[in-house]
Amino acid sequence: MLTAGILFISPCLLAVLNAFKTLPEIIQSPLAVPKHPTLDNFIYLFTGVKLARPMANSFMMCIAVILSLIATAPMAAFSVMRRPMATGKFLQLFFLAGLTIPFQIIMVPLLQQFRLMGIQFTYFALLVHYVSWGLPLCIFIYSGFMSSIPKELEEAAAIDGCGPVSTFWRIIFPLLTPCTVTVVIFWGLWIWNDFMQAFIIMGPRSQLVFVQLWRFMSDKYVKNWNHIFAGVVVLSLPVTILYLSMQRRFIKGLTAGAIK
Amino acid sequence: MREKALNTYTGRNALASLILCGPAVLLYGGFIVLPAILGFAYSLTNWTGWTARPQYIGLENFRDLWSDARFSEAIRFTLLETVLIVLFFTFVSMMLAVILDKLRIWKGPIRGLFFYPYILSILVNALLFQYMANYREGAVNTLLRAVGLNAACQDWMGAAEWAPYFIFMLVAWSGLGFFTTLYLANLQTIPTELYEAARIDGAGPFSVFRRIQFPMLLPTLTTTSVLALITGINLFPQIVVTTQGGPGFRTFTIGYYIYYLGVLNNRQGYAAAVSFVTFAALVIIAGIQVALLRRRQVSL
Repeated sequence: MLTAGILFISPCLLAVLNAFKTLPEIIQSPLAVPKHPTLDNFIYLFTGVKLARPMANSFMMCIAVILSLIATAPMAAFSVMRRPMATGKFLQLFFLAGLTIPFQIIMVPLLQQFRLMGIQFTYFALLVHYVSWGLPLCIFIYSGFMSSIPKELEEAAAIDGCGPVSTFWRIIFPLLTPCTVTVVIFWGLWIWNDFMQAFIIMGPRSQLVFVQLWRFMSDKYVKNWNHIFAGVVVLSLPVTILYLSMQRRFIKGLTAGAIK
Repeated sequence: MREKALNTYTGRNALASLILCGPAVLLYGGFIVLPAILGFAYSLTNWTGWTARPQYIGLENFRDLWSDARFSEAIRFTLLETVLIVLFFTFVSMMLAVILDKLRIWKGPIRGLFFYPYILSILVNALLFQYMANYREGAVNTLLRAVGLNAACQDWMGAAEWAPYFIFMLVAWSGLGFFTTLYLANLQTIPTELYEAARIDGAGPFSVFRRIQFPMLLPTLTTTSVLALITGINLFPQIVVTTQGGPGFRTFTIGYYIYYLGVLNNRQGYAAAVSFVTFAALVIIAGIQVALLRRRQVSL
């Protein structure tokens, strides 16, 4: 089974091997171990393609989206699930409906909306889109977890004169940490890896890693596989390291939305 | 007096709700729900181009869909992919989960290997497959040449008869670990007494699977088949990276067709109509699927 597993990820291993070869060597002997391992491909990525900026941009984008999601989603989930609200039931369904809307439906009107707002093709527009796109699933995950928190905690806080908002941030939010970890892993990974939505919302101007990699690889008719492989390895490396160091958390986090 | 106190209380309560819920409702409502509604409105217009003024034309777009050969071609291709994807993810990943569940040693690492492609970007996975499928220097053809099967070499992504299967393999490879994990989580909830009883009764692995594991896995089967259906019908970024609908229009999925119309060709009104018909179809198919599978769960 271990052999089967290694065979299964052999395309990735192949990419790692080929990232250290020159282009002629890749074409001549694609499956062999590199004869004269070279770092030129990686050097080219940072001097020729200048991948360092996009990497920083993507990283910042991940942080911005995650912080915005954490600032909004758990509050909404708490309010909808736990507080006496006339519109609570309606809002629950309202957010749930978002899980079914595919990107293709909102794509074209959304672009027009950003145009009218005068923020088309900006990072701000992309940030707004990512956060709104992430909200339904986050609220869903938080709502599911919320039911395991005893109601007495809120009641005690209310008796002590703590308002709803501060009750949430001081008492409930710390208890939601496992959920927050899930959200960080899921959306961090999703936004780092995304290129399609970024490309559609922001166009070729978006300096995010995978959009840049894609532009760079679809630029030329003849593909420079050596650079592409080096790019693939560099961009997958942070994700892979995190995955190796906390595999269980990753798998749990990524399947959390589906199991509930 | 008391009424006034009550009023300020509910007032404060409403204010708190607003603070708690407001941002989420505003963002989600303004940038997901509103565009979805606008999209439906646009589907009733002949809107072309970002600056043009949309004109109301009623249901004409929907009527045009019936006679749109490219659309029916896209439906056929999408359905082919969807059927392959649904069958693969519901049954192959179930088999894999049953096998992985039996492992005594290295369960975690092996499981981790199968899950690994899922954490990579779609772009990375598509590039790897595109490389392997390449005619001149791809890994598949190199292997074929090495064993002397020069005649079997193909431009796997460029040939109309092979491209659909390569796209399917790409999706299958990326998602196998994810769907297997869903089954594995379910397998761990089966009480060990059942297995022990089966062992005492002398049941072999096949009948254990048929009598115990398969029935117990049915709830997950419902989930996975619906998730696989959604994956299949919405198949889109993979096409953009690999074939871009080619050769000709042979690998146009519905998702790619919407992108082609709405973003590349300025037929936004018509694109909106296509996306709504697809969405409605997806909701109906998924509804039927869930209903059928639920019925089976109860009868067992």
